[in-house]
Amino acid sequence: MNFINVVYMIMFFFGIYLVSFFVLLHYRNGKRLFDSSEPNRYPSLSIIVPAYNEEKSIAKTLIALLKLEYFGKKEIIVVNDGSKDDTLKIARGFAKKNKEIIVLDKKNSGKADSLNYTIKRAKGELMAVVDADSYPEKDALLKMVGFFEEKNVAAVTSRVLVKNKDNWLEKYQVADYSIIAWTRKLLDFVNSVYVTNGPLSIYRKKVIEKVGGFDSKNLTEDIEITWNLLSKGYQTRMAYSAVVYTSVPANLNGWIKQRVRWNLGGLQTMKKYQKNIFRNPENTFGYFVIPYVALSFFFAMVGIILLVRYLWIKGAFYFYSFFYSLRGYNFFRYLDINIQLTIILIFSFIFLLISLVYYKTGFANSQMKKSSLMKILNYTIIYRSLYIIPLLLAFYKIIRGDIGWYTK
Amino acid sequence: MVHKIINNKYRIFVETLILTIVIYLLGFSFGFFIENYRTNNIIENYKNDVINEADLRLQNYYYEIMSKEDCNFSIQENFIFADRIYNTGLRLEQYEEANQLTGDLLLEKKQYILLKTELWFNTILLKNKCGNPFDTVVYVYSNRPVNQALISEQKIISNVLKNLKEEKGNQIVLIPIAGDLDLDIVNLQLKRYNVTSLPSIIINEKDVLEGFHSEEEISGYLRS
Repeated sequence: MNFINVVYMIMFFFGIYLVSFFVLLHYRNGKRLFDSSEPNRYPSLSIIVPAYNEEKSIAKTLIALLKLEYFGKKEIIVVNDGSKDDTLKIARGFAKKNKEIIVLDKKNSGKADSLNYTIKRAKGELMAVVDADSYPEKDALLKMVGFFEEKNVAAVTSRVLVKNKDNWLEKYQVADYSIIAWTRKLLDFVNSVYVTNGPLSIYRKKVIEKVGGFDSKNLTEDIEITWNLLSKGYQTRMAYSAVVYTSVPANLNGWIKQRVRWNLGGLQTMKKYQKNIFRNPENTFGYFVIPYVALSFFFAMVGIILLVRYLWIKGAFYFYSFFYSLRGYNFFRYLDINIQLTIILIFSFIFLLISLVYYKTGFANSQMKKSSLMKILNYTIIYRSLYIIPLLLAFYKIIRGDIGWYTK
Repeated sequence: MVHKIINNKYRIFVETLILTIVIYLLGFSFGFFIENYRTNNIIENYKNDVINEADLRLQNYYYEIMSKEDCNFSIQENFIFADRIYNTGLRLEQYEEANQLTGDLLLEKKQYILLKTELWFNTILLKNKCGNPFDTVVYVYSNRPVNQALISEQKIISNVLKNLKEEKGNQIVLIPIAGDLDLDIVNLQLKRYNVTSLPSIIINEKDVLEGFHSEEEISGYLRS
């Protein structure tokens, strides 16, 4: 067996492992997906909304927050991170009418820093972080707070759904967010929630202060804080029934920029916590989360290389066919279709089959409910291929050492 | 320490591993079965070669002693024989490309090339004896093309020749031969016809066309 085929076979092994891992997890825990428990008491809660140039969405977010049901004390703190638009004015207008809302104003310093700034002023035992373009459903907090009954739980995150679903890119992201949320909830069953998302997550404030707050140098402070907590033995949980709607990028440019930031932040976080790999067998962080994320990046890169190689081989053949067709070769008569049942083809088929089960199950338990074979193939083949662009850009930026402008 | 990881909650990691290994082994076994089937097929074909080889040698004796009246019949037999070897060759090539688990069958391949060279000699002899009533097209290719350009070029040339053969059926004998397997007799032949680069096409032991040529161009060198 030649080297390339060995690489393919290794990829298939890990691919089959991961996909069947999620399918098995669902098979075991699917009935408990939406579970949440009522707490014995409702701790005081500060809802923090960091806002930078959010004049278009801040009002709607605040309206959603005011509607939130909660049976304990709560306050809403908008922290204006030096916006250049009318964000501050709108927030102050709300504060005038609602005593629950407090507005803080500071110079621009990024989301993580704004959060750290606000922690000192927040009165709640728990702190919810809500992005200024996200809109929690009114029972979201109630579904989440029960998880804090367990002492070791330091963060609880929610299920993010897509608010704007009009154009093709937004529709793809509906599917994408569905799968992301579903797999994250499944990881919850093995204590491996490794992202507490920006649109809505609740943290135990005391613990956040103890671990040193949010890392203002990191591009994805929501990933970083979660890894920080996991590395120190805290638990992070996810409430699948707690729903928050968020605005997703409506054009490819915005989407790429967002994903480059996710990739860079992910890599940055991984570098920071790499020493934790295969340490501390008490939780899954070192044995599963880090290798899982690292391998995802690694195999994505290997996948790209294999794809480029394949396209190069096919492309070269068609290029030369075209070239020789100028010299009398009948190009269209030989489109090189010769499919043999190879071991690679057999495994591709097996992998495709398990993946279909995976996506079908994931979508069935999401915003989408139903998914046809065509929809799944469309999402995986077309949309997931786009992942290559931000991934390569992220690596390119790392090589160039140029990640500065992403911090804001 | 490891046993702590594998408590109830985390047992699923090991279970998935077992499931993956089972799926993997099933896929592998199936792949192995298919490849084995194809390899057996190849080996079966090579076994036939031993008979074919003896047959070819005897045909050679026959051509030596036959009279001109036997030409028509002999040519026809030669065509059938050459076609069979050519078609088997195509199929074997496809099989070999598809077999990813088993190593390549270099020894068998060499044996096969020798067989084709023998066929070539016989054909030359037959043509001499019967007054050149048909064309021979010998395609000499590289068994290990070094780059994508060469791989594509060879694929394209063999497509062209396949098509030519389909069109001209009983007027040409097409013999593809790997030119770089270090077989003395093949080297001698290539030297004799001044073949200096691979791939090349030798037409009627006279014209040598290097690299790609279209069907029309090749036809121009043929008698028929």
